[in-house]
Amino acid sequence: MGYEWDFAIVLRDADLLLLGLLNTLKVTGLALLFGVPLGLLLALLRLYGAWPVRLPVGLVIEFLRTTPPIAQLFWFFFALPILVGVEIDPFRASVLTFSLQSSAFFAEVFRGGIVSIEKGQWEAAKALGMDRRQTLARVILPQAVKRMVPAFLERAIELMKTTTLVSTISYADLLYQANNIAQSTYRALEVFTIAAALYFVVIFACSIGVRRLERHMARTGETTAH
Amino acid sequence: MEHQWDFSAVLANKTLLLIGLQNTVVLGALCLLLGLFFGMFVGAARYSRNPLFYWPATAFVEVFRNTPVLVQIIWFYFAFPIVSPFEIDAFTAAALGLTLNTIAFSSEIYRAGIQSIHAGQWEAAKALGMGYVDQMRRVILPQAVKRMIPAFMNRAVELMKMTSLASVIAYGELMHQAKTVSTIAFNPIEMYTAVALIFFVMIYPATVAVRRLEGRLAAKG
Amino acid sequence: MTEVLRIENLHKSFGDLAVLAGIDLAVDKGETIVVIGASGSGKSTLLRCVNFMEIPTAGRIYLQGQAVGQEKAGRIVYAEKELAALRARVGMVFQHFNLFPHMTAIENVMEGPRTVLRLAAEESRARADEYLDKVGLGWKADAYPAQLSGGQQQRVAIARALAMEPQIMLFDEATSALDPELVGEVLETMKELADEGMTMLIVTHELGFAYTVADRVLFLSAGKVLEQGEPEQVLTHPQEEGTKNFLRGHGTFRLPAPQLD
Repeated sequence: MGYEWDFAIVLRDADLLLLGLLNTLKVTGLALLFGVPLGLLLALLRLYGAWPVRLPVGLVIEFLRTTPPIAQLFWFFFALPILVGVEIDPFRASVLTFSLQSSAFFAEVFRGGIVSIEKGQWEAAKALGMDRRQTLARVILPQAVKRMVPAFLERAIELMKTTTLVSTISYADLLYQANNIAQSTYRALEVFTIAAALYFVVIFACSIGVRRLERHMARTGETTAH
Repeated sequence: MEHQWDFSAVLANKTLLLIGLQNTVVLGALCLLLGLFFGMFVGAARYSRNPLFYWPATAFVEVFRNTPVLVQIIWFYFAFPIVSPFEIDAFTAAALGLTLNTIAFSSEIYRAGIQSIHAGQWEAAKALGMGYVDQMRRVILPQAVKRMIPAFMNRAVELMKMTSLASVIAYGELMHQAKTVSTIAFNPIEMYTAVALIFFVMIYPATVAVRRLEGRLAAKG
Repeated sequence: MTEVLRIENLHKSFGDLAVLAGIDLAVDKGETIVVIGASGSGKSTLLRCVNFMEIPTAGRIYLQGQAVGQEKAGRIVYAEKELAALRARVGMVFQHFNLFPHMTAIENVMEGPRTVLRLAAEESRARADEYLDKVGLGWKADAYPAQLSGGQQQRVAIARALAMEPQIMLFDEATSALDPELVGEVLETMKELADEGMTMLIVTHELGFAYTVADRVLFLSAGKVLEQGEPEQVLTHPQEEGTKNFLRGHGTFRLPAPQLD
């Protein structure tokens, strides 16, 4: 093929790409920070709330899980500011969207972990005179969280992949930077290939870590039934 | 500020939205069919002991599972045409990205499904005197396929959501049509709310069906 | 004799299925009562109603003379708080041990005193040490359940229940899930408790144990007490046809007494 590859011209802007990667990690990290606790709260409400709480919470979770993230992001970036009359910048809209979106998925991970704990554990705690709050805090959650770790990490990796969407509302993540460089250098092939490779290195490393952990947990009998 | 909800512009442009919906469904269905079909072969290649099959298949699966699908679509739209022997429009780029992505994920479902069958089943079939093909066809696959169905349906759900990414490269699916209309009619609130609702109505029944099926399979053990 | 537990006209149904159809029982302090019966006779449900793991459909339960639940408009209402407080006074040992796998043996035994009785850490620890020693497992204090044999796990579970210093202990087929060679150590522990004067209500298939340890044996059939009395009488001179059939089934294959030494 007649195309002459030229990576040098792209590597001149390597710092921009790394800056973009950093922003990708920043959005992912913040979404995790807010999404995980919120997910636990939603899971508990969905499991143990009275029905006027349980039903709407369930609906919100399902809605966030079954609508495309890009639709959610556009809603929070383009629609919400008009609705509440407050300017929301791309960064805030991104963190807001992905915190809420991931909280719905984490809620399901939490719920799966909690219901996977054998009935006998609830009974033993109950027989000692523990109430539900004590049983959850002392007996169920410590075991459930341990089992859920691989599912959590898998979800976190998915989240990182999904955050590429923030480039569509001009937040300077890795993909956005790549797009900019591609336009200024006319080297789309090299730039997007390098960007893809960067994503691959980071995400693949995480995936391998998760797989190792899963295998280790399966060996020591701590894995959850999927 | 009190917003006056007004869906009239959504309804006025319902033809545009319906075209978008149609494009969404076409793109999703095409990628699903191709993905499930070729995924079978990639899954088989990953089962192979021949390194000429195993390694390329493994590399392919890892690359497509471990990069964001939006990056894949954008790569096929902006980068690939430079070396591609044929013309690449938005539909082709989106279909390529989503299909290859689905192949990678579904090949893993095939593999995991077959691996989930207890070794005793292979042995029992072998002990009856069956050859490899019969073991696979009569004993393993009928059990494995049943277990794979919920995973495939989950994949279909994910895929339908992912088709919305084609809007980024201006393919006229539902999301893109909504974006276009909302800039003209200046009604992003109603427009994006409507789009989210359409996706929800389209996808939610599938997720309910998956859960039912999983529940029934789990109950049967 | 002071009465620890009284059960009056206890009924329990699951949907249309009546599992307990009117049980009356009074247990005095220090008494060991063994409940036997075929599977499905309701013996486990009886036990689980005593500490309200199952809520009775009708009837009344008294612990140390005090009725559980409030009567309101002809129905008995049980507040969750009251039931939790009652369970803290009633020990239960399960068929499948149900130890907390993320806690060591000593932590399992400390958990009740610490979380439910709200004792100080040192006090809970001292109590847990005492009861682990009592079941002969002080030396396994820092082992996790997964590192213990089934028999050892069940003894830790007994210590966990004892550490609440309950007024009565319930044993729900405590040896049914154990390998045969591990049954002995658990029965031995239970016998020691009985000898020390613990009040116990035991569901078991171990008729030999019932014969040796029980003060009274209850034979349950179709959710009712068909026959009861001293073990000698019920197990060797049963009066009712149902009891005879049950005991006949248990005697189909019997070894001659082993010749040891």
